[in-house]
Amino acid sequence: MKLAAPSATQVTYTQLRWICVCLALALAVHAASLPLWLLATVVAAAVIRLALSARGYAAPPRAIRTVIALAAILILFLQLHTFNGVAAGSALLSLVAGLKLLETQSRRDLYVIALIIYFLSLAALLRSESFWLLAYLLGVSWLTTATLLRLTHSTQPSGWRRSARYAGRISAQAVPLALVLWLFFPRFDGPLWRTPSDGHSAETGLSDTMSPGDITDLALSDDVAFRVHFNGLPPPAAERYWRGPVLHDFDGRTWRRSYAPRLTSAGLLPTGPGYRYVVSLEPHQHNWIFALDWPDGWNLSDAYLNSDYMLVRPALLSRPLDVSVSSHTHVQSAEPLSEAMRRRDIRLPAGRNPRTLQLALDLHRAHPNDLDYVAAVLDLFRRQPFFYTLEPPPLGLNSVDEFLFDTRRGFCGHYASAFAALMRAAGIPARVVTGYYGGTFNRFADYWIVSQSDAHAWDEVWIEGRGWMRVDPTSAIAPTRVQAGLAGSLAASSRFAAAWRQPFSWLSDARLQLDALRQLWRERILRFDQRSQNQLLMSLGIPEPDGQKIAMVMGAGLVLVFIWLTWQIRREQRPDPKDPVVRAYDRLCRKLAAAGLSRRPYEGAESFAARVARERPDLGAQVGALCRRYSRLRYGASRRPAAERWFVARVRAFKPRRAALARGSGQDRARTAPR
Amino acid sequence: MRNLPEAAVARIRAWSARRHGADELPVKIERRRIYILPTRFGLMLVALLIAMLVAGLNYNSNLGLAFAFFMMSMMLVSMHHCHRNLLGLTVDVKLEVDAFAGADAVFYFMLRNESAVDRCDVEVRLGTRDDSPQGIIEATRSVATGSYEEAMLAVPVANRGVRRWSQFELRTTYPFAWFRAWTYVHSPLTAFVAPSPRGARPLPIATAAAGEAARSESRGDEDFAGLRSYAPGIPLKHMAWKTLARGGEAAVRVYSDPGTRPEWLEWSALEGLDTEARLAQLCRWIAECESGHPRPYGLRLPGTEIPPGRGPAHRSRCLRALACHGMSQP
Repeated sequence: MKLAAPSATQVTYTQLRWICVCLALALAVHAASLPLWLLATVVAAAVIRLALSARGYAAPPRAIRTVIALAAILILFLQLHTFNGVAAGSALLSLVAGLKLLETQSRRDLYVIALIIYFLSLAALLRSESFWLLAYLLGVSWLTTATLLRLTHSTQPSGWRRSARYAGRISAQAVPLALVLWLFFPRFDGPLWRTPSDGHSAETGLSDTMSPGDITDLALSDDVAFRVHFNGLPPPAAERYWRGPVLHDFDGRTWRRSYAPRLTSAGLLPTGPGYRYVVSLEPHQHNWIFALDWPDGWNLSDAYLNSDYMLVRPALLSRPLDVSVSSHTHVQSAEPLSEAMRRRDIRLPAGRNPRTLQLALDLHRAHPNDLDYVAAVLDLFRRQPFFYTLEPPPLGLNSVDEFLFDTRRGFCGHYASAFAALMRAAGIPARVVTGYYGGTFNRFADYWIVSQSDAHAWDEVWIEGRGWMRVDPTSAIAPTRVQAGLAGSLAASSRFAAAWRQPFSWLSDARLQLDALRQLWRERILRFDQRSQNQLLMSLGIPEPDGQKIAMVMGAGLVLVFIWLTWQIRREQRPDPKDPVVRAYDRLCRKLAAAGLSRRPYEGAESFAARVARERPDLGAQVGALCRRYSRLRYGASRRPAAERWFVARVRAFKPRRAALARGSGQDRARTAPR
Repeated sequence: MRNLPEAAVARIRAWSARRHGADELPVKIERRRIYILPTRFGLMLVALLIAMLVAGLNYNSNLGLAFAFFMMSMMLVSMHHCHRNLLGLTVDVKLEVDAFAGADAVFYFMLRNESAVDRCDVEVRLGTRDDSPQGIIEATRSVATGSYEEAMLAVPVANRGVRRWSQFELRTTYPFAWFRAWTYVHSPLTAFVAPSPRGARPLPIATAAAGEAARSESRGDEDFAGLRSYAPGIPLKHMAWKTLARGGEAAVRVYSDPGTRPEWLEWSALEGLDTEARLAQLCRWIAECESGHPRPYGLRLPGTEIPPGRGPAHRSRCLRALACHGMSQP
């Protein structure tokens, strides 16, 4: 290629345009996380370079390019402070691709851009788990490969359709090999090294504070919080409380978490049946794991229970996670509440919500027993005109006073907050628990979907001799909501129309089926790990799988795929494998070649036969007849199966003698001639 | 190989020559003789693939790993395709060609593809970087399924003499330029470089015509002057049947009637010129004899004598004699 005309390695406008298209498609998936100025720079570089190329100009001079490149990279570094991590790395690569485009002159520059496109595709997949993204990016890489094919083609640029087909063929042949590698390549549990967490992804779902109205926003979201598969029977509907953050500190308006150390003692005695289940969490950027009520067993080595009986782990949940947990819904506390915790859980902000304090004192005087007092407060909510709404009026600093005495309209958070305040005012330790309640059963795949709209808040009060007891004050106001979920109780609310809450519509069925597929994708593909590899090996009949056996299976698989691939490619070597006549003729030529008479590439059947007759008179007649027959069969007007069979059989029977033997004495020749 | 130093390439070539021995044309490229290595672009891709794998493992991303493995497999499959692009191709070339100093020696390579797939961007290369200032000459062809292509390599030759190449090379980087497959065909190519035809002296016959004619006519009886190879169009009555019957090539008798008496182009007739100028003059005479009058001509060089004759084969023989004159090897 070096001595070829400069035009052969020079980049043409069409090539530039196509690589720009591929780059744009790859950048599209990063667009949301890239700085705007960076996108603008890349687009400007592409437009400038394309415009120059369309007019036949070369790239802008080196000095200008260098200045632009240095400035852009510097700005990017000042903005990100690092080039490590997926987000920063992708940003840098995108910038480099744009700048490279600006200076593209030879094919090699385009090769570099193609490689960047491949890597950008990978970077997008590192952070995503979407099937559609994978499909899209495989499409992009296919297009890039087709473009590459056209770039490297030096004789005649083949048509788009042809390049695309060939790139598709190679991609398709790559799939089995990739599958074997993917299935058996060793997986590691943790990262090889820590990368800066990409903190751009927003927290979703419950946070560790609760102000009036917080959960209302969540109730409108259809996003999935987690999915649960029960091994065995699920708990009754009234007991499906998924505990999340437990809130202690109250400033009169907002509830907050407080320091909760690792739980040191068991502390709880189960008094009811246990449940085993797998919870598949969506990333929520917090460190807690939603579990059913009181968890007592799980399969995550770094997770632990804290003193609030929350299952937490050291790292934030930034990727989906599957955990097997066992829980009880009925427990009894074995130990008394420590004095420090008691003091913390009866503390109320001084000078706030005075009317509430007064109400609590009055009520507690009338019902000195703690359990009676709880029942009296719930009765208050039930008897007085409290309303349950998704559009509660805004509340001020004395939120509990305003809610209890003025507005009387609220969502679960309002009731939980007011109830806890009333308990604390009476000297009963109480805390607010946020989490999820209920869930939707997916009858297509036997699991429950718990979505953000299932977010809920309730209370736990300490009853001497019994321990923490769950009280859901919301159930006192709108029992239907607790029994049938949000859609039933809020059917009147015009803003609320979650499709899968309407149990009999085809739309909800479709959504459930789609969700079942999504869950399958997640379990089988995304969560594929060493354990899955072991299971796969066992299902292949290999007992006690370990790393070595997996590697051996991978080796065997690769060998098989390579054999298949070689066979695939070998098959194309043969000329038109379907035609028996052609095959037989090939065989004839091979036999003659073995006898020292190889057909020259430019020789047709008849001229070859003529040469054979000249060089080896003993074979002349036979070969002549066969070759004439071949020409007639091959180029004749119609197919004649009988003649074809005759030809094939004759070729099979044909046995030329080696040249050395045939060139023996005259007597020898005389003896062979009559045959 | 652009990636490898010339010394390494020379060693590979020598090893390959030892391994395969001399080739008899036409050569069908088989599996054993195809070598394949990644190109520089391919090495860049390898680095990228390693980075992809590490990233996929580090982020514990099954989708990232899937993509990384897919790209790896693409590379491996493309290696097969690159190898396949040469496999089974048949190549033939006329091994000996004539040329004039200062012009090109032209080799015609015939690439034939009998398989069911197209062969794209097959490069025929001749020479090495050390060979000459011109270095490597190459031509790239695509051969469609079931057809053939001719690749013409024109090697500029500056000086008279015999130039040899002990092998030529076929190579390809198709499909993605990630790999380069190549093969050496160890058939020696020879260019006989005749001197560039120059010189102002007239043909010797013009000077010697008178005396020669007189002597020849006085002999009268024997006008048979020699044999030359048969060319279509010569009357059959001039065929040398006896020669043919003895198993020799078809030849015709040449009679030395005044119009066709042989012209002897003699080295010794060019006193006073240096070697190259003499050869240049002889070369010009050969050209004049071939294009001008229908007289057979012979060539006498010190140590070599070519009997009179005419036609392309004879001309080629004479030119080769000029090319080889004074060279250590014929």
